[in-house]
Amino acid sequence: MSFPAEEDDLPALRCVSIVRSFSDGGRSRNVINDVTMDLHSGQITLLMGPSGSGKSTLLAIMSGLLTPDRGQVLARENGRMIDVWRLSPREREQFRLRNCGFIFQGYNLFPALTARQQLEIVLRWGEGTSGREARKRADEMLEVLGLKGKEHKKPAQLSGGEKQRVAIGRALIKRPKYCFADEPTSALDWGSGQVVIDQLQKAAHEYDSTIIVVSHDHRLLEHVDVSYHLDDGRLTETDIPVNRGGEFESWRAGQ
Amino acid sequence: MNYSLATLWHERPRFLPGIMAVAFSAVLIALQCGLLLGLFKITSIPVDNSNAHIWVGSRDVLSVDLGRPVQLSLMARLAVDERVEKVEPYYQAFASWIKPDGGSALVIVIGAELDDGNMGCVNELNQEMRDALTEPNSVVVDRAEFDKLGIQNLGDYAEINKVRVRIVGQTDSLKSLAGPYVFCSRPTAIMLLRNMTPRDTATYFLVRLKKDEDPEQFAADLNQKYEKRRDMDVMTSETFSTRSRVHWLFKTKAGIALGYTALLGLLVGAVVTSQTLYAATAASSKEYAILLAMGIPRRKVTGTVLVQTFWVGLFGIVLAYPLVHALAGLGRLADVQIPLPVELLCIAAVVTLVMSMMAGLVALRSVRKIEPMNLLR
Ligand SMILES: Nc1ncnc2c1ncn2[C@@H]1O[C@H](COP(=O)(O)OP(=O)(O)OP(=O)(O)O)[C@@H](O)[C@H]1O
Ligand SMILES: [Mg+2]
Repeated sequence: MSFPAEEDDLPALRCVSIVRSFSDGGRSRNVINDVTMDLHSGQITLLMGPSGSGKSTLLAIMSGLLTPDRGQVLARENGRMIDVWRLSPREREQFRLRNCGFIFQGYNLFPALTARQQLEIVLRWGEGTSGREARKRADEMLEVLGLKGKEHKKPAQLSGGEKQRVAIGRALIKRPKYCFADEPTSALDWGSGQVVIDQLQKAAHEYDSTIIVVSHDHRLLEHVDVSYHLDDGRLTETDIPVNRGGEFESWRAGQ
Repeated sequence: MNYSLATLWHERPRFLPGIMAVAFSAVLIALQCGLLLGLFKITSIPVDNSNAHIWVGSRDVLSVDLGRPVQLSLMARLAVDERVEKVEPYYQAFASWIKPDGGSALVIVIGAELDDGNMGCVNELNQEMRDALTEPNSVVVDRAEFDKLGIQNLGDYAEINKVRVRIVGQTDSLKSLAGPYVFCSRPTAIMLLRNMTPRDTATYFLVRLKKDEDPEQFAADLNQKYEKRRDMDVMTSETFSTRSRVHWLFKTKAGIALGYTALLGLLVGAVVTSQTLYAATAASSKEYAILLAMGIPRRKVTGTVLVQTFWVGLFGIVLAYPLVHALAGLGRLADVQIPLPVELLCIAAVVTLVMSMMAGLVALRSVRKIEPMNLLR
């Protein structure tokens, strides 16, 4: 299979033949079994599958947190595809610093810090942004997330949905090229869940981010651009909703 | 960094044990050292409360109460030096005291010149007492030692080394560690100490230098000049005072015991502080893990934990300060002097802060354990 050479058509992230096994009780078991997939910028990709099918493991491999046994994770940077797992640990950390945001099911907010500080800390520690600039950007982000007026609130004073929005803000404030979300809506009611997915859509469109969401929640299907199904470590079906998949589909058909 | 402070404030109950532990260590160290200083100040009273620039004693004398006799002829070496204004002999030795009712006690007899301009008399001996001491075999003791010496009133008689003496005066606050001080004139001392201090010897020579002469230089010069003879030791009064205290500090079980307690306090403080910080960091490990996943270097987290450690240490020390003073005040009520000079408080603060920073370093293993991968489940 050959891919278009034009840089805009390169996928933002490409997994090639990923294999990962864990040993349990002495024998090793393949948790990810030869997964190949492309993720495109400006899109939300949904990864579904039963519990234990390896979704979180795959997410960790794609995001540069967990080493694959075999295969490549290629990320587009400056028009080239670089292999994330051939970088040195230090380079990989810097790659994540430049490019990656994370959202998890538990909100994982510092109990002592205000909503604003949760966001500021990412800029100040990560990019060495000045206090004033970080504060300004944090407040803008919180406003976009509908949290204006709650900048001073600590996690204990926020609802679950609000906390998850702060967590989204923390993931998106540096405008990451990739945003990895593991079960971002599972602890929320559908209303809050919709707010979350709306925000992720916005990020995909406004920052041209590549967003990967792992979830059990079938209601998300109609809000995403592409969905994959993982079963026992293998991709079984790829569903490209008609509303957005047109270009990709036609490119595929043209191969 | 304000994030560390915010965390400290928000999680006061969690950090409090660490802060208390630091305070505990600081209080313990300051009080122990204060006690040591108070105790060992007693050991150098004869030096500190008299007026000589220079003390000359037997070779390598360890402490003012351990002086061995030196030949009176050595006085000539001092007298010929043109920097010297005055030299006088000084007598000090342990002696056996027989109470009026028959019991015995060990005392330290101190005999000095009594004339105006003398160097050896402790400042507490006023003119009246010095006049009274010119009477042969009369002595002055401290009010606080009356009980120990079996004395009821001034004018009582007792016995020192089989010689009858009369108590003609009393000082205030000149207690001693090794045995009560008994002050007397030079001739009386020679008489009382005749067995330990042969006729042609003294225990020390005291030297007053001319105006603007440097005692340090004088002592160094003389020690070098007579180095080969190895028969005397020339010290400034500061040197001798310190040497006496340090001798007691290191050579007595009391000093070592007090030092041990302080060390133990430090250890307990370190363990509790370390545990506190470890637990606090572990409790936030998921939040830190997200930041690590986003590529924020681990050293930022390390830095935060160390800054927290610093604040824990600082708050502990701030808390300790009034406590130390309150306890020293209590000690004073019980007639235990606990001097707390600024230097001592500073040293205690620095030592405790270093201790808590070390505890923080140990607690950093919880930062090394943070693994972003564990968030993905
Ligand atoms: N560190 C590990 N050591 C051993 N086995 C592991 C480890 N991490 C994951 N596994 C195993 O790999 C399999 C896939 O785990 P993973 O967390 O990727 O599943 P998942 O699809 O995210 O499930 P869920 O929907 O319940 O979150 C599971 O059977 C799990 O037990
Ligand atoms: Mg999972």
